[in-house]
Amino acid sequence: DDEVFSSNEGHERERHRGRRRDGDGEKKKRKKRRRKEAHRAEEGEDEVQTRHERREREKRKRAKNDLETKGREREEEEEQVQTGSGKVAKTKKNTKNEKTRRRAEEGEVEVEERIEKRKKKHGSDNKDEEVRPERLTPEELEKLKEAVDERKKLIQSLRGKPWPMKKKLVTLRESQEFVEKYEGALGKGKGRKLYAYKVMMTKKCMKFQRDFENFKTACIPWEMKIKEIESHFGSSVASYFIFLRWMYGINMILFGLTFGLVMVPEALMGRPYGSMPRKTVPRGEETSAMDFAVLWDFGGYAQYSVLFYGFYNNQRAIGWLKFRMPLSYFLVGVGTVAYSYMVVIRTMARNANESGVGDDNSFNFSWKMFTSWDYLIGNPETADNKFASITTSFKEAILEEQESHKDDNIHLTRFLRVLANFLVLCCLAGSGYLIYFVVRRSQKFALDGLENHTWWERNEVNMVMSLLGMFCPMLFDVISTLENYHPRVALQWQLGRIFALFLGNLYTFIIALMDEINIKREEEKIIKFNITMWEASLYNGTVSENSTAPSITINPADVPRGPCWETMVGQEFVRLIISDTMTTYITLLIGDFLRAVLVRFLNYCWCWDLEAGFPSYSEFDVSGNVLGLIFNQGMIWMGAFYAPCLPALNVLRLHVSMYLQCWAVMCCNVPQERVFKASGSNNFYMAMLLVILFLSTLPAIYTIVTIPPSFDCGPFSGKNRMFDVIHETLESDFPAWFSKVFSYASNPGLVLPFILLMVLAIYYLQSTSKSYREANVELKKKLQTVTFHLALVYFCTFEYTLNKNINATLLFLLPFFMR
Amino acid sequence: MGSRASTLLREEEIEEIKKETGFSHSQITRLYSRFTSLDKGENGTLSREDFQRIPELAINPLGDRIINAFFPEGEDQVNFRGFMRTLAHFRPIEDNEKSRNPTASEPLNSRTNKLLFAFRLYDLDRDDKISRDELLQVLRMMVGVNISDEQLGSIADRTIQEADTNGDSSISFNEFIKVLEKVDVEQKMSIRFLH
Repeated sequence: DDEVFSSNEGHERERHRGRRRDGDGEKKKRKKRRRKEAHRAEEGEDEVQTRHERREREKRKRAKNDLETKGREREEEEEQVQTGSGKVAKTKKNTKNEKTRRRAEEGEVEVEERIEKRKKKHGSDNKDEEVRPERLTPEELEKLKEAVDERKKLIQSLRGKPWPMKKKLVTLRESQEFVEKYEGALGKGKGRKLYAYKVMMTKKCMKFQRDFENFKTACIPWEMKIKEIESHFGSSVASYFIFLRWMYGINMILFGLTFGLVMVPEALMGRPYGSMPRKTVPRGEETSAMDFAVLWDFGGYAQYSVLFYGFYNNQRAIGWLKFRMPLSYFLVGVGTVAYSYMVVIRTMARNANESGVGDDNSFNFSWKMFTSWDYLIGNPETADNKFASITTSFKEAILEEQESHKDDNIHLTRFLRVLANFLVLCCLAGSGYLIYFVVRRSQKFALDGLENHTWWERNEVNMVMSLLGMFCPMLFDVISTLENYHPRVALQWQLGRIFALFLGNLYTFIIALMDEINIKREEEKIIKFNITMWEASLYNGTVSENSTAPSITINPADVPRGPCWETMVGQEFVRLIISDTMTTYITLLIGDFLRAVLVRFLNYCWCWDLEAGFPSYSEFDVSGNVLGLIFNQGMIWMGAFYAPCLPALNVLRLHVSMYLQCWAVMCCNVPQERVFKASGSNNFYMAMLLVILFLSTLPAIYTIVTIPPSFDCGPFSGKNRMFDVIHETLESDFPAWFSKVFSYASNPGLVLPFILLMVLAIYYLQSTSKSYREANVELKKKLQTVTFHLALVYFCTFEYTLNKNINATLLFLLPFFMR
Repeated sequence: MGSRASTLLREEEIEEIKKETGFSHSQITRLYSRFTSLDKGENGTLSREDFQRIPELAINPLGDRIINAFFPEGEDQVNFRGFMRTLAHFRPIEDNEKSRNPTASEPLNSRTNKLLFAFRLYDLDRDDKISRDELLQVLRMMVGVNISDEQLGSIADRTIQEADTNGDSSISFNEFIKVLEKVDVEQKMSIRFLH
């Protein structure tokens, strides 16, 4: 009995499905035909059309009748099979649903037919989809409105219908098309077009917003690269790359400032090359000005260009915009420093707020075992990354365990640590003396004249500093094994020591620079005297000195030039940055890549296992790289005032570094044996950056405030001090009362109480923030949760309209945030 | 009647499922649509291959075990009733339910039953204990060959040490409940219906 019954049902289902498929096909054919009809000329084809339509209509009616009979048959069968009157009510509801749907369809079909009839009568041959509602009678309008409402209701209730997915999708699409087509036409009067337009615009707006959110998430540069590195190498290595990306952002802003407000105005609106002595290559250097060696050293044409301080003219306002060049130069210099301070402090504050959740260590391993998989991952690559990160997190947890179980012999450890610090101090003192010695030697060489010495002797200072930067950290690394700290703490000590090393180097470098500046200034006095002599010799014999002489045109290249110490300073910084960059890249290629190649391929024919023993693959040196980045940035801050091209150079360098290092890490490095979790907030790096910022702006500020600018180069030539430009602007460009207000405001009697007030405000804010933080910790304890999604959520999220990528990306990131 | 395949869901079936699992009418119809979309063979039952087609389950290290949880002992096909019975564990807990009827038998989606479902994923031999070997198996699936065997052994030992309170070197169901006490299981192990 059952079998016969089920086979009957099977056949009916087949027929039903076949009918539906035909219906679909028919609907498509109908649409195509309607378009064809509209575009064809009416005359000859009227007959054909009417015949087609009649046949269509008949077919449609037949299909409908079949459906009805089918439905009725099914109902009857259901009634037969089920007992109980309650069920009959349910089936009646089913039929009602079917009936309303069919009625909706009928209504539409009738209206459509009538519309087509109307179109044919009035011979409309343009767009067939456009319905002229004034042509429809009120009851047709009413029917159309009903049909649209039915369709809308159908769309709303589609989710609740017990139909297969395919059917639902097809119905949804059809209903949406229908509603779109006729909804606008139903609005009353003139507003109907506007109404349709408004509806369309809201939908498009929502879609646009969703796409924009997607786009914004996809726009974060290098996000996938960094995530990949994080899952393979752990969070400490990834923190370096995140830091690098953040620095890149800052440098872009600095680049925008210097490029847009300093370099471009001078290039566009200032006097061109060759019009003034300061903007021209001197006659003596002309022959070698284009040589690559000279250009690489930033001499020649590179020196006399917008890249350096010396090119800028001291004219107060240039071009048709009356752009105040000297003022802009000064303000951009101050602005870069101010912006950097602001950004660093703001980031520190933000990091402090998000400091990590107090880890509940009670079930550390159990939680990792039972809850670490993210069940919403659907992408194989993501799954690979997730495997790697689970492994890494287990390794981190193992390390934490080992550290906490270490046997502590306090006295031995303390002794060893003191010894290690002593050794490190010796190292630092030694390197400091070496640099001092080398700098003295180079000063002596400079006095002798640079041409007499070999390449090494000329570049001694730079080379020695780079070499020290390479070898001393390794030495510190070896010494730190004595100390036996937790790796995170050891990293911080390492960073601190290398910091001290680089600081010593930096200040010796600056002292050397100051010596050179003083030499140049001595030269300047001599040259000034010579110039007056030279000028006198020009007018010699023609006119007496007191009368105004006719200006003799002299080629600017021939005018004797004062030494421009600012350009020299800029050049030194640029050269240092370039050599630093080159050193980093070469050590990367040789130390990491070549080493990896050798280990990999020589291993086949070597006596011992190169991969396991010495030298094996290198690990990524987080501390060295971070410090390199920070000091590099310090150089930029110091030199940006004298060489506006520095931020541009740095942007380029960071961009290349990012790609090169990402590749090198994934290709040549292995994860550290002892993988540890980076400190929750990035504040350690930020703190160091702040210190460097402070220390690097000091020399620049000192030179601005104390040393008078060169007399014939740069935007401040002729002034007594560089900041005089502010004074000058206040006097000439602002109304008179402004300068009076300013002079009152800078009265110490006003400034001191203000400072006192700020100190009090800081103290108050700090105490309130402490109390908030404590309250925060209490709340967090109450809200401890750990991520634990399960895949079956997938079964019921059926927003096919929602972009699946958003889901996957957002949900993939969620566990990272909640760690 | 037996296990008759039904293509369109009938009202009385929906009522039965509602009584058994507690899902609402609309939730059942939505899950039914999902069921039919997975059922490529259109014969009203799902096989293991149908489940494997879901990418999130395919790459999940515990994917096979989750799939097995759907199929009753020894069978290879699951119909909609069986599907719903398993999914009942993931019904969201409504607030009013918590206080409704303390004496009635525990509904399928109580916290304890959700945790029991998770526990059974790890306890393969159904002896109500997660032994060290079972933990090792799970670990091996999660980290592959990247961690050495002794380290994995230590992790398993450490896990048992953390969780075991009665000293039998394995994790019983009560100990499992204790471990996941602070985990928001009600919210995380629930289907999110998007109304």
